[in-house]
Amino acid sequence: MNSNDIEMVSVTKTFGSNLVVNNIDLAIPTGEFVSILGPSGCGKTTTLNMIAGFAQPSSGEIRIRGKSQRGVPPEKRGIGMVFQNYALFPHMTIAENVGFGLKMKKRPAGETRDAVQNALRRVHLDGFENRYPKELSGGQQQRTALARAIAPEPSLLLLDEPLSNLDLKLREAMRVELKDIQEQLAMTFVYVTHDQDEAMAMSDRIVVMQDGVIAQTGRPAEIYEHPRSSFVADFIGKSNLLPISDIRQIENDWFVSLGTKGLTLSVFIPDGMSGHDARYCCIRPEAVRLAVTDEGIPPLPNRLEGTLSRIVNLGAYFDCFITLKDGTVLKSLVRSTRLPGLAVNQAVFLSIDPDAVQLLSR
Amino acid sequence: MDRFLSIFFQLSLILILAFIALPILVVFAASVSPTATITFDPSQWTLRWFAALTASRWLDPFLLSLKLAAVVTVLSGLLGLLAAYVVAYRKCPGHEAIMALLVSPLAVPQIVKGVAIVLFLSSAGFYALLGTPGLIMAHIVLTLPFVVRMIAGAMYNFDKRLDQAARILGATSFQRIRFILLPIIKPGLFSGMTFAFILSFNNIPLSVFLVRPGETTLPITVINHMEYSLDPVLAAVNVASLAFILAAILLFERIGGFSAQIHGGSK
Repeated sequence: MNSNDIEMVSVTKTFGSNLVVNNIDLAIPTGEFVSILGPSGCGKTTTLNMIAGFAQPSSGEIRIRGKSQRGVPPEKRGIGMVFQNYALFPHMTIAENVGFGLKMKKRPAGETRDAVQNALRRVHLDGFENRYPKELSGGQQQRTALARAIAPEPSLLLLDEPLSNLDLKLREAMRVELKDIQEQLAMTFVYVTHDQDEAMAMSDRIVVMQDGVIAQTGRPAEIYEHPRSSFVADFIGKSNLLPISDIRQIENDWFVSLGTKGLTLSVFIPDGMSGHDARYCCIRPEAVRLAVTDEGIPPLPNRLEGTLSRIVNLGAYFDCFITLKDGTVLKSLVRSTRLPGLAVNQAVFLSIDPDAVQLLSR
Repeated sequence: MDRFLSIFFQLSLILILAFIALPILVVFAASVSPTATITFDPSQWTLRWFAALTASRWLDPFLLSLKLAAVVTVLSGLLGLLAAYVVAYRKCPGHEAIMALLVSPLAVPQIVKGVAIVLFLSSAGFYALLGTPGLIMAHIVLTLPFVVRMIAGAMYNFDKRLDQAARILGATSFQRIRFILLPIIKPGLFSGMTFAFILSFNNIPLSVFLVRPGETTLPITVINHMEYSLDPVLAAVNVASLAFILAAILLFERIGGFSAQIHGGSK
């Protein structure tokens, strides 16, 4: 488990004068579920295409299972791929689609049949062998594409936004299934997505990309709790991202001023960071505690008052927007059973644990 | 108002169909009438003229036309496939110019093409090519633009991600063409080949310059016969070739499955 299935060493890709992937280094350990996450145009799909061999790095090297892939065409790389539009062969039955990889490798018919059966059973499509792709629903086509990719048992599977054409319910069900399949088969999954929920739900590790470079790599909780830049904080999850206008130390305590109108918060400086480097602070909405009375919030340093300006009902939660006295708007996530009677224009009290204020240097 | 429009459209459709079908009905009646006077009384109808078609003066031209159309269909299918592949996938520089050149014969009247081909063959000294080899070449010049357009259209529509999907599953370029590209563009290929077959089998303007005495195609034989007599055997020839072409189209459709492509629906 300590070897790397994929290693990318100073990989750069340019299209004309356009720098799409800029000098990235990335090691993906065997058996891990790694998501490459980023907004469109960040270079994540190009990165995947370079691993697959559909695009060649302009410079740098890609190694798969320790072997340099320079000059190795996609058909010789021994990897599986699931495409965004599924790319099922319309003139073949489901069984023929799933068995295609093994047929190309000229495996015996019996072996192919068993592998097709196994793959279809794994994605719950047994009994669909003789249907054609267009007779299947979007979700079933998606499963077929997955079965086709895993049937030849590659050690490495690339997935290019495979769930983005499905509706939300199906997407959430498929997340669980994909993760199960990946664990059962102990395959390395490289999953490209722009959907942070997807990446958070399935990944062992997330690689956040921005403008062709890797903004941060880490376990989902790590990235969520300790984003290293305002971009990552903003992209992963919801956050109150506020620029810092001033930071000062009074004895052992640090205070940040936000905006120009005197909003001040007490914060902790994490190890390895100089307080004077802080440019932004990030507060997750669930860390903004909301109460309707003064007594409802704990006696912590960061106590704020404001007016509830908007409530978005998410069912189990309320997404509350609170306008503070100085005009700053903060988001707070409130369990709906805790404060069922919340109403717009109500005066509310907020408190923020200094631990929950993330300081970011960029 | 909608109802009125709907009746109007249906009526127009019937009239158009009648306009197309009625001459065929008249020819059919002529082919079974005992004399040159057309009768619509089935009790007088006879198959005598059809029996006359088995004579070698009709059978030989038919066989020549059939052979010619078959060779032209296969060759223009193959050439069209290769040309369309190069053009659609930009395998060489100037693909747009090549496509323009390939379809340019469409703009030249067939008579002009016929004269040009005869002048070329005779002035270049290729007298031996006059006759069947010249007919094959001339017909391919005629049919290739249709075939190339049809196949290139199918190739432009081909989703290249299917090629990528096959590739990552380990298919070599030969396997990808054999198992993915060809089956998917098959309807385009076969509809192009059907056009080639019909164009070649029915052709007069090109063939008239290239046939040799004693070695004429069916349509040219009909024209020659018409100069001397207008007897019901001509109607029988027409009905028989029409039936033959319909059978050929059905056969191509069975193999190529292109009807969806022609009428634009999905099967």
